[in-house]
Amino acid sequence: MRELLDRISQNVHWVVFLLLEVLSGFMLFKFNNYQGSVWFTQANTVAGKVLEWEAKGLQYMNLGKENAYLVRQNTLLQSNLNVLRHELAELKRDTSVTQRYHIDLLKDMEMIPAQVISNSVRQRDNLITINVGSNDGVEPEMGVISGTGVVGIVSKVTPHYALVLSVLNSRSSISCRLRGTEYFGYMKWNGGNPLQVSMDDVPRHAKPRIGDIVETSGFSSLFPAGIFLGRVAQIHNSGDGLAYSLEIQMGTDIAHVQNVCVLKHHMKEELDSLRR
Amino acid sequence: MIDTLLKRLLVMLLLVAFQVLVLNHLNLSGYGTPIVIACMVLYMPMGSPKAGILLWGFCTGMLVDIFSNTPGVASGAMTFVALIQPPLLNLMVPRDAPEDITPTIQAMGSGNYIRYTMILFLIHHLVYYSLECFSLYHMADAALLMLTSWISSVLLALLLETFRKKK
Repeated sequence: MRELLDRISQNVHWVVFLLLEVLSGFMLFKFNNYQGSVWFTQANTVAGKVLEWEAKGLQYMNLGKENAYLVRQNTLLQSNLNVLRHELAELKRDTSVTQRYHIDLLKDMEMIPAQVISNSVRQRDNLITINVGSNDGVEPEMGVISGTGVVGIVSKVTPHYALVLSVLNSRSSISCRLRGTEYFGYMKWNGGNPLQVSMDDVPRHAKPRIGDIVETSGFSSLFPAGIFLGRVAQIHNSGDGLAYSLEIQMGTDIAHVQNVCVLKHHMKEELDSLRR
Repeated sequence: MIDTLLKRLLVMLLLVAFQVLVLNHLNLSGYGTPIVIACMVLYMPMGSPKAGILLWGFCTGMLVDIFSNTPGVASGAMTFVALIQPPLLNLMVPRDAPEDITPTIQAMGSGNYIRYTMILFLIHHLVYYSLECFSLYHMADAALLMLTSWISSVLLALLLETFRKKK
């Protein structure tokens, strides 16, 4: 009897080992789908807090770069505004529909500023955590943009944090079009370079050229039309040879994005109920 | 007893913080990130209760998992390494060493210590990257990642060893 007990106590570590490995395996399979993982992973309050402190610290170091970014963006926007003002003044003469359209589009959108507290670009399915949540009015299925373009789509929210499905995720696909034409397609990321995405099924007669601007199409209620995505870098034939597949140089470097905006569409439910 | 426990807890928190707040942000353009949390298991003295080593390893891995969105990957790998550590250490220490030797460069000799670190880390990285690529990567990419990560981790662990001496 004594010997038996000794035996057991000597080998108890095997039982512990098996238990712990089963537990890890359970977590690996159970939580690796991102919906189930929110309570356990980064949106978890404690981890969220720590990562937020870290992000805050890091932001100070990057303020210079961020400022340069903003200045550039500001200049760009101002020059755009100039051009638009001119055009608007010309259009106003015969109709005010265009003006109303532009104002309406922005009126429907509320922008909720947020900061990235954790981010990854290394994996096949990348997620971003931001420091706003349902208390700030964020809901799943809202678009997220930065000063330089589209960042991703909110997939899950807790009271203070939200998990964003980055553009760099195999599940993400964003409706886009070539600026100046109405030819649209879907933007996808095929892994690898975080600055390169692709847009498939562009018809041949769309005549895309290298350097053309790709923007959101506005077909979904997530993003308004005309938000910058990137520029065409290369043009390939699609697999069946009937269309082009474009390689796009992203406008936003997801790896370095810090300040973002969540787009809240006031008419979203109305729009979605129509599409259903 | 309490003293060693607190010391270990401190080492664990320092390692996890270093891994999560510093190393996880190193993006070596396509090459693997160094992973040094296996040091937690590496430092366990000979003759410590095996179940204890397993639990320490698992908890360290679990903490890293929580902070880096990789549920089960680090904890699984750490638990496996914790199982391997006692026999490996047994194999690596000199014959005439005391029974409860703590693995350090001085106690084991640098050759033995470096070999011990390399083997332990290799096993850790093998398990870690197999678990990770199970769900994510292609095999060839994973092998390159693993190899570069392993080399950088071993170098970093040896560097950490020099800090540990002073304490």
